[in-house]
Amino acid sequence: MADGTNPPMTRERMRADIARALRMDPEEVGGDDDLNDLGLDSMRAMNMVLRWTEGGLQLDFGELAERLTLNAWWAVAERATEKRANG
Amino acid sequence: MADGGHASTPDLPLTEAQEGLWFAQRLDPGNPVFNTGQYLDLRGPLDLPAFRAAVDGTVAEADSLALRILEAPGGVVQRPDPALRPWLEVVDVSTEADPLAAAREAMLRDMRRAVDPARGGMASERLYRLSSSHHLWYQRAHHLVLDGFGTELLVRRVAALYAARLTGADPGQPLGPFAATVAEDAAYRASPKRAVDAAHWRRAMEGAPEVTGIAEGAAMTARSAHRAESAIGAEAGGALRRLAAAHDIAWPDLLTALLGAYCCRLTGEAETVVGVTFMNRFGSAAARAPSTQMNVLPLRIRPDESAPLHEAVEDAVTQLARLRRHGRYRGEQLRRDLGRLGAGRRLHGAIVNIQPFHEIPAFPGLTAELHLLGTGPVDDITFDLRTDPGAATLRLDVEANPNLYSAEEARAHAVRAAHFVTAALAAGRLADVPTATPDEAQRHVFEVNRTEHPVPDTTLVALIAATMQAGPDATALRFEGRSATYRELDRRSAALAAALAARGVGPGDLVAVSLDRSPELVVALLGTMRAGAAYLPLDPAHPAERLARILASAKPRIALAPAALPGDVPVLPPADWPAVGTVPAGPSPDDAAYAIYTSGSTGEPKGAVIGHRAIVNRLEWMRQHYGFTAGDRILQKTPATFDVSVWEFFLPLIAGATLVLAPPGAHRDPAAIARLLREEGISTAHFVPSMLAAFLAHPDSRGLEMARVFCSGEELTADIRDRFHATMRAQLHNLYGPTEAAVDVTFWDASQGDGSRPVPIGRPVWNTRLYVLDDALRPVPPGVTGHLFIAGVQLAREYLGRPDLTARAFIPDPFHAGERMYRTGDLARFRADGAILYLGRSDGQVKLRGFRIERGEIEAAIAASPMVRQVRVIAREDRPGDKRLIAYLVPARDYDVAALRAGVAARVPNYMVPSAFVALDALPVNTSGKLDRAALPAPDLGQGRGRPPETGTERRLAALVAEVLNLPEIGAEDDFFALGGHSLLAVDLMLRVQQEFGRDPGLGALFEHPTVARLAAVMDAASLPPGDNGLRPLIRLGRGDESRAPLFVVHPAGGIAWCYGNLARALSPERSVLGLQAPSLDAEVLPPRTLEALAADYAARVVAAGQPGPVHLAGWSVGGIIAQAMAVRLREIGREVGALALLDAYPADAWRAEPEPDAGAMLRALIAIAGHDPAQHPDLPMERGAVMAFLRRGGTPLGRLPDAVLDGVVRVVEGNNRLVRGHHHGRYDGVLTHFRAARDHAGRALSPAMWTPYARRVEVVEVPCLHGEMVGAAATDLIAPALRRVMGG
Repeated sequence: MADGTNPPMTRERMRADIARALRMDPEEVGGDDDLNDLGLDSMRAMNMVLRWTEGGLQLDFGELAERLTLNAWWAVAERATEKRANG
Repeated sequence: MADGGHASTPDLPLTEAQEGLWFAQRLDPGNPVFNTGQYLDLRGPLDLPAFRAAVDGTVAEADSLALRILEAPGGVVQRPDPALRPWLEVVDVSTEADPLAAAREAMLRDMRRAVDPARGGMASERLYRLSSSHHLWYQRAHHLVLDGFGTELLVRRVAALYAARLTGADPGQPLGPFAATVAEDAAYRASPKRAVDAAHWRRAMEGAPEVTGIAEGAAMTARSAHRAESAIGAEAGGALRRLAAAHDIAWPDLLTALLGAYCCRLTGEAETVVGVTFMNRFGSAAARAPSTQMNVLPLRIRPDESAPLHEAVEDAVTQLARLRRHGRYRGEQLRRDLGRLGAGRRLHGAIVNIQPFHEIPAFPGLTAELHLLGTGPVDDITFDLRTDPGAATLRLDVEANPNLYSAEEARAHAVRAAHFVTAALAAGRLADVPTATPDEAQRHVFEVNRTEHPVPDTTLVALIAATMQAGPDATALRFEGRSATYRELDRRSAALAAALAARGVGPGDLVAVSLDRSPELVVALLGTMRAGAAYLPLDPAHPAERLARILASAKPRIALAPAALPGDVPVLPPADWPAVGTVPAGPSPDDAAYAIYTSGSTGEPKGAVIGHRAIVNRLEWMRQHYGFTAGDRILQKTPATFDVSVWEFFLPLIAGATLVLAPPGAHRDPAAIARLLREEGISTAHFVPSMLAAFLAHPDSRGLEMARVFCSGEELTADIRDRFHATMRAQLHNLYGPTEAAVDVTFWDASQGDGSRPVPIGRPVWNTRLYVLDDALRPVPPGVTGHLFIAGVQLAREYLGRPDLTARAFIPDPFHAGERMYRTGDLARFRADGAILYLGRSDGQVKLRGFRIERGEIEAAIAASPMVRQVRVIAREDRPGDKRLIAYLVPARDYDVAALRAGVAARVPNYMVPSAFVALDALPVNTSGKLDRAALPAPDLGQGRGRPPETGTERRLAALVAEVLNLPEIGAEDDFFALGGHSLLAVDLMLRVQQEFGRDPGLGALFEHPTVARLAAVMDAASLPPGDNGLRPLIRLGRGDESRAPLFVVHPAGGIAWCYGNLARALSPERSVLGLQAPSLDAEVLPPRTLEALAADYAARVVAAGQPGPVHLAGWSVGGIIAQAMAVRLREIGREVGALALLDAYPADAWRAEPEPDAGAMLRALIAIAGHDPAQHPDLPMERGAVMAFLRRGGTPLGRLPDAVLDGVVRVVEGNNRLVRGHHHGRYDGVLTHFRAARDHAGRALSPAMWTPYARRVEVVEVPCLHGEMVGAAATDLIAPALRRVMGG
């Protein structure tokens, strides 16, 4: 599925995807808000992460699940992007 | 080796997830099913030092793998112990002949070893080296410390560390600390969120149905699970994702809902509850800490099958979203909240587990393939779906409880569930998807029904005319000692036919026949058909009102009866029949042969009209299939109004055989039937099963020999079949068919050697098809209950004068255009081999507390008691909503309802133990010999909820239960769990029981028997007297795996078998031990005349006990002599004998030579039986009073027996002495295992070799003890392992 139609992952795209899953505006998702408190359940999250991984990013759901904030997720994604660049 | 830095941590409490698992393991400490395990098949050049460093590095981070769980004074605690870390072991199997098989075998061996959580060793990491480029990495962990998600964490961590060492990549974050997950669990338990979650679940489960599983039986985990695998293809995977995306559903939820629909379909209910797994990691410390968190929560499945797929799943998808918000709440706790405890009340049936993140991480330079070995306990069946994020194909793993499913059924579920999902996605609507796969439908609709067979297109009249011409002088009829030839029958029936024709009767007409059984009856039936008309049998004994109704609706042209009938039908009495006449042209194959009225469920009789072509097919099949010849003598004893009579009358007449008419009324008198069978040399007879049971209970049936017996009309139970073969010698055939399909449409050979339980109705006869279909007339797969339909040449043409009923019952055959099929109203199921099982009436299905109940199974359990001659179990609902099982029985000798209840409770699950046992002089039957339910009295169930505790044991137990539950009082039938008891209270209760009674029936017993009455029965059955329970001819000494053949132990000289208690305990829990005791301990029972007769009686009891597998026998002393004679007898009657173990027993020959014992010797024997050595008490006077007083003082169980019983023991000792001296052994064609008391018999000529003439081979095991010590604890420790070996699997 990594066919190039997916734009590269950015913090803003991540925030927009999360907001869409929560039926919120991106501005409403704060970097340190608990996504669980905002109503994100594990299946919606999983569905979203599935789409990101299908876009070519190698994400560990376990790492994401440990801390549910946009900032924590973006840190995981950055590490994964680096790894991909190095690997 | 580094230990990861987590040095001695303090004791931690268990998490809620662990508590349930710990408790389950504690219930069954030897059960290895709690081991989870898998291996990765690694191909390519493995860098061993790097791999070792990666695994050991991971092990050093994963504290949960080094746990020990201990019962401490303050409760159960867990303690990480760095010394227990499972560092990688490397095992080189490359030099083995088959390295892969050797490694797999070693892994499976390891998986089968139960782990004691108190000792540690919870996990293991092993690398099997098959070659330099092929390794298997095996991981095992107790489910208490790891779940599936946790295992994946470990694998990913090992892969990251391995890659880091090889490529220098970033090794990533270390695993999280285990202690954090424990703290998180404690925080949740203390939080208000938990109460909110509890309230959600209570609401969500309001009105949820009792759970019926796909398979019948108690869903408690076994010691292993069947595993099977299939796949949902890429195309269906794509469709799944597209449909999910189109309706904004996460595809795993859509898939869960579809698999739920599959489960619901198989239960046959409108709603079912499946379990869904919740990984419990989202936003949790456990997201990166290996641990066990997985939670299984209920999902109600109630799809509208006719709606478009996305609408049909909406309810489930909505529930799943809510489930996740409240998913931390433990399923075990919810089960307690809802009082759904005990084997019968579950929270959910099958489990659906979807893992969309199933990606095996990359190991540089290697390919890796996952193989699952075990994922923990499986109560019912689990559907596991795994897939990689990018992959379209989904892998489906099925795990199934072997107590509920065969390996074959597990495989079938894997394939069928995948097919169901695929077909549902393609069809877009559940209603359009058959439950059976196309292959299954092909096999069970078409292949098993390939019954095409040429049958002449003729009439019954033509077939009989041909025999009459071929052998006119042969005997056609026998009645009350007189005979009639075929010539005579020809003449008289032709004359009657002519007389009927002269009165205008011909094809298309009906002639009523109302005559007692007699040659005139045969002439009337045959004469009617020769005139071309169909006969309508009427029972002169039926109420006049019923006869009038039938006559009014059938409108016969004329009646053949001795006197006028109700209404205005003209009558031609036998006295007016002419002696000669010319036979008219007769019927054509299209004409009707007879019409028989059956009771409709509404009470309005319906007349099924059967044509010649149909009955010719049925009779020609029977004649050829069973090889009937002119030499046969067939008994006619069934009333003509019951369609079984049709073959009894006419099969002999088309075979040229002799039709022997039983005198009127004789068919209900077992003695008269036995006399008739013997005197007339009957070769073939029919019995309704309940009549057969009564017949077999009569002593005159013993030893009868004939060619064949046919059963039909009711369910033939396995128990009756086995008693049949223990009593008489003949083939036994089970037939099934409604009146609407020419007598019978299926057959099953239940002759000697058939071990089926239940006995199938079998397979279709010639030119006949049987379908098992669901409510929507779709074929159901084997193992699934459905409605039975019949199609083919034997179907009735119609119900007389009732086109409405005809149209409803005879509907178009959906599988053969232009043909009809008949809706039987019976429930049935295909076995995997294509044989059909009859499961009762669809309108009368018994379902209690969510269990589908087979009455036959309960009946067999009750009938196994010698206290019962006949029994039927029915479900009554005398008060609305209060459905109960009631056993109606005809008691035999020594009937004791408490003892019977205990015996039944020991054989069937508690939900199948009847609420009441009602003893009757006879079971009421209707005119066709079937049980007359309406005539059964309502049971007296007492007032209110339940009776108070009665026996001493019940009162003591009730007091303990009341204490534990903090209730003022407890009824005998009150359920511990229903009253609020839960697992921890259960432990408390069992500790108190242990203190009060001095023995522990085990926690499992409470789960199986949650009422005071049932638990008391278990306690009593497990103990020696009080009461006379311990003296029954067949007692249970030890309980084991019910699916394995038990060991039968035969009493020694004193007639009591309690001495084998040590042996029974040593063989528990793997095998049950049943003791045979002398029936003549009871003074009322006459002692047997010969040892052979005794052995035959015991053999019959063994057969009647209905246990699986070969008969294993053991006997000490005289018991050994009897056991050998039983083995000979069991072989004679065709039963397989497994072990024959003689505990220091020597053949009768050895005793004949000894001097006759004196009275003192008898008393010395009694002392020895009580467990004392008479030689140690030289001062004891050998007289009765003194010995009795000694025994009473001695504190042995024997000393507690009432005088009458001790007298019985003395009597039995004397009797056995006489029997042994008079016995001459037969040869047993098998291996006899002799356990010799090696320290005894010095100077006497007793040797195991004395058995050589009486066995094919004698094997000797030396046991260093005296004869009297043979059943003691020390000797038993040596004997039990050897015996286990001899008995095998």
